[in-house]
Amino acid sequence: MTTEKKGRRRSDQPPVDLAAELKLKRDSFVHTFFKKGAEFTEELLGENERLRKAMGELEQQNAVLRTQLASDKAIRDLLEKIELLEREKRDILSSMHEAEAVSTRFVHSHAQIEEEVSNLAALHVASWHLHSTLKLPLVVRHLRELLAQLVGARSFAIYLADFDGAGAARTLVPVASEGMDRNRPAKLTVGTLDSVGDGADGMIERVYLTGVPHVVEGLFTDAEVAVPAACLPMRVDDRAIGVIVIHTVLPQKDRFVAVDLELFKMLGAHAAAALVGAQLFTAADGKLPGLEVFSSFDAHTSAPPRPRDL
Amino acid sequence: MSTEYSCLVVEDSPMMRQLLVFALSRVKNLRVTEADDGVDGLRKLASGKFDIILTDINMPIMDGLKLVKRVRSDPTHKNTPIIIITTEGSDEDRQRALQLGANAYITKPIQAPQVIAKVKELLKIPT
Repeated sequence: MTTEKKGRRRSDQPPVDLAAELKLKRDSFVHTFFKKGAEFTEELLGENERLRKAMGELEQQNAVLRTQLASDKAIRDLLEKIELLEREKRDILSSMHEAEAVSTRFVHSHAQIEEEVSNLAALHVASWHLHSTLKLPLVVRHLRELLAQLVGARSFAIYLADFDGAGAARTLVPVASEGMDRNRPAKLTVGTLDSVGDGADGMIERVYLTGVPHVVEGLFTDAEVAVPAACLPMRVDDRAIGVIVIHTVLPQKDRFVAVDLELFKMLGAHAAAALVGAQLFTAADGKLPGLEVFSSFDAHTSAPPRPRDL
Repeated sequence: MSTEYSCLVVEDSPMMRQLLVFALSRVKNLRVTEADDGVDGLRKLASGKFDIILTDINMPIMDGLKLVKRVRSDPTHKNTPIIIITTEGSDEDRQRALQLGANAYITKPIQAPQVIAKVKELLKIPT
């Protein structure tokens, strides 16, 4: 029996085994195939799941980007708005600066006008008081007040020329003074320009002879101590009749200002006329002259006066 | 409606008084009354209501310092602002006036804009 089995060829073996074997192989293949299929399906499912996730994430990112884009637009709009507002702000600031400059100019002009008006008022008041009377003591009083109160003179003297019979001045006589009690001013002899000396007396004489005023310019502290702060000739028409000398000024006054210079100009002409008028009135015992003087010239036309009337 | 103010100027020098009156005329709605000296000033104070007083110091009959003292002792004008106007600018006079109750001082020679500014400041009038 065994020999029989050994001597048989494979093809001689019974087909049952082969079939079984084939079945086994087939089963194994099918099993492997399905197993691989299942694994592949699982892989596909996994991949699908991963892709879904990735897609979800991308969608999320997309949504974020969309939001960002919208937000960026809003920011751009806001930036444009800010730029516009900045431009408006610059325009408004520029207009404001212009308005401020105009306002500053206006305030400055207003202050200048007020100062001018104030100066004119001082001149008006001074002139009005000088010519408000023909009484010599009052004229002198007003002149003193003017120098003390309006100019701020602390020590001053008013000199009038004493004329000889030929009409030439021999001396300058101090007719009024203030703040010079210890050194009451003395008479000054009037010589010629060649003989004029130095110092205050020399300056007074020179101002009288030349008719050119002397006024300290700038700070008084920088000026020469021996020289008066101001020395003003008094003239009626072209004739010198005296000198006003301001030796010192009030301590709070550090320099002469514009209104002082205007007052000096006014004093040069008006003080002389007021003093001479008052002198003549006093000399005539307060009597007014007759009207016959008007007959010497025609006051009823606007024709210029003849030289002999002047 | 704008507020009306009244001011009393006590000054013996007619020239100075005229200048002060002119300066004060530049302040809107300010009525100015003039007095020659301290006694005249007190008389005018008694007969009217004043919002501010400007007074010189050196005056005959009654000087500015006495006037300030009298004004401050009067309950009616206890709080009325007083500006003193001094010639010499001496610290002693100024201190005395301020101690007696003056509110401010101005030294001569006066400048109208300075007077106006001080009056407006004490009356609280906007510039």
